[in-house]
Amino acid sequence: MAKRIIIDPVTRIEGHAKISIFIDDAGNVSDAEFHVVEFRGFEKFCEGRPFSEMPGITPRICGICPVSHLLASAKAGDAIMAVNIPPAAEKLRRLMNLGQFIQSHALSFFHLSAPDFLLGWDTPPTERNVFGLIATNRDLARAGIRLRQFGQEIIELLGGKKIHPAWAVPGGVRSPLTEAGREKIRGWLPEAYATTKTAFDLFKKTLESHKKEMQIFGNFPSLFLGLVDAEGNWEHHGGKLRFTDSSGNIIADQLDPQKYFEYIGEAVQTTSYLKSPFYTPLGFPEGMYRVGPLARLNVAERMGTPKADEELKKFKKMGHGAVTSSFLYHYARLIEILASIERVEGYLEDSELLSDELRADAGINSLRGVGVSEAPRGTLFHDYTVDRDGLLKKVNLIVATGQNNLAMNRTVAQIARHYVRGTDVPEPLLNRIEHGIRCYDPCLSCSTHAVGQMPLEVRLIAPDGRVVREVARRI
Amino acid sequence: MSPMLLVIGYGNSLRNDDSVGRRVAEAIAALGLAEVQTLSCDLLTPELADQLSRSKAVIFVDAAVDAPSDVLLRPLQAAQSSQVMAHAADPRTMLALARDVFGHVPQAWWLTIPVADLGIGEQLSTLAQAGMREAIQRILRLYETVMTKLSLRGHSLINTAA
Repeated sequence: MAKRIIIDPVTRIEGHAKISIFIDDAGNVSDAEFHVVEFRGFEKFCEGRPFSEMPGITPRICGICPVSHLLASAKAGDAIMAVNIPPAAEKLRRLMNLGQFIQSHALSFFHLSAPDFLLGWDTPPTERNVFGLIATNRDLARAGIRLRQFGQEIIELLGGKKIHPAWAVPGGVRSPLTEAGREKIRGWLPEAYATTKTAFDLFKKTLESHKKEMQIFGNFPSLFLGLVDAEGNWEHHGGKLRFTDSSGNIIADQLDPQKYFEYIGEAVQTTSYLKSPFYTPLGFPEGMYRVGPLARLNVAERMGTPKADEELKKFKKMGHGAVTSSFLYHYARLIEILASIERVEGYLEDSELLSDELRADAGINSLRGVGVSEAPRGTLFHDYTVDRDGLLKKVNLIVATGQNNLAMNRTVAQIARHYVRGTDVPEPLLNRIEHGIRCYDPCLSCSTHAVGQMPLEVRLIAPDGRVVREVARRI
Repeated sequence: MSPMLLVIGYGNSLRNDDSVGRRVAEAIAALGLAEVQTLSCDLLTPELADQLSRSKAVIFVDAAVDAPSDVLLRPLQAAQSSQVMAHAADPRTMLALARDVFGHVPQAWWLTIPVADLGIGEQLSTLAQAGMREAIQRILRLYETVMTKLSLRGHSLINTAA
């Protein structure tokens, strides 16, 4: 008789989720689903508010990546006003986004993921966490915290505070970088480079002993989506969209982000509040694609900075056309941290960042505006429809975790196939499924717009809803 | 600058009473007390451990969703080093991080304020408003105690207030 295993909820991700694993009559895993069971409804309650308030509201969707929502929201506002923002404002927004990449990736790598692959998959959960990492390598844990601090400081120096800075506005930004702020950022650079190098060295060593994980942690063909510039370089805030396939072929390029709805559809499933976007020409679910660090590095031909470009060459050699293992999201994060630090350093030489010509002003010139920016976890879309007074009639947010939903399902199924035999739910399965999800660093606060932290539960359920086996791990 | 007393108020400013801790921190900041630093934030995040470790004493101020009806000020100990950490942490985990990563854990308290409304909005309920007033008074009393105790131990009292 076919059965279903549910993992409820999943730890060390942001938000509340559970996992169902479906077992066929032969006791083999047939499929898996990652469900999101909380709903916060930002899209609905924003209706009726002025679009100009959105950069102040939407960052509160998430305390970890508020800058991503801030910037995408401001860009949607730019589109409604139909303005090109001043060059200094564009650079300042980019600088803040780079700070966001650094802080978010540092948290994901050092604190949420490194305990798994540095301490060992089968280390008990009570030890396999940041405190276990501290006990083993205190300097590394400290360096990770300080790298995140560096990214947060960039955000704070620009926006006035680390979390939820209401700094970017439709038409530009509120304030420039100060001379003192520039020097402060400059002072961090040697330590940031050193920490990143340490992380690269450590991760590359772990790859030798994690070949199996590379094979089964989300290693499958899919499309990849990300922003690139006109030359195909890595982009994080401007540019156009590119889809590539798992052989590295560009299947659509220089797509206008304002018209995303012409090539991205959103499937709704009754079992989750997470929407499942797909590439429309291939339909659902064949149009499954991945976003985020792995995808961005697959769609980009170059990072655009020397050190990161060297690493990108090594990274690309790990795949055939494209790097398809989601375990390598971690590697891609490190490369993006390096690229971000290099770009931050480049900006410090640009006196335009101190300019006070920062805002373009205009009325309502378009009744629909789309803002697209790369968030650390992947491409973020803010789509606003307004009336003639600028009041929101419709809001659509497409976030990274939703876009990776189908890939996360596939990842869980792939891992489960290696560990589930009949009704047995072995401990290694729980550890590895947790990490398989964590490769994507999902943010359910963003995708459904809720917050939480939770233990791990696995239930084996027959199709009629009967619980056959239940495993709970409270940590 | 290392403060004698750090007051951290945290919560979601768009969830009505959940913002009460932040408002308390902001009210304390407005008083400009010597040797006091304040932080108003949505979440307790790991990098705050550095700042915690450089403080002599810290008060975490939070909305209490599951607490009794009283404002409670409780001494707080660092968690054991086996706590799991997600994107955000609780106060005990933050103290453990300060201790384990940065080598010093300050004396700490957890000040919780009972709340009634965590819906979407920016208003405090009557219950939270009353709790906020009491919380400020509790912090001021604790401040006097902490300052007296620390000055007796020979710490200099330099006015760092804005």
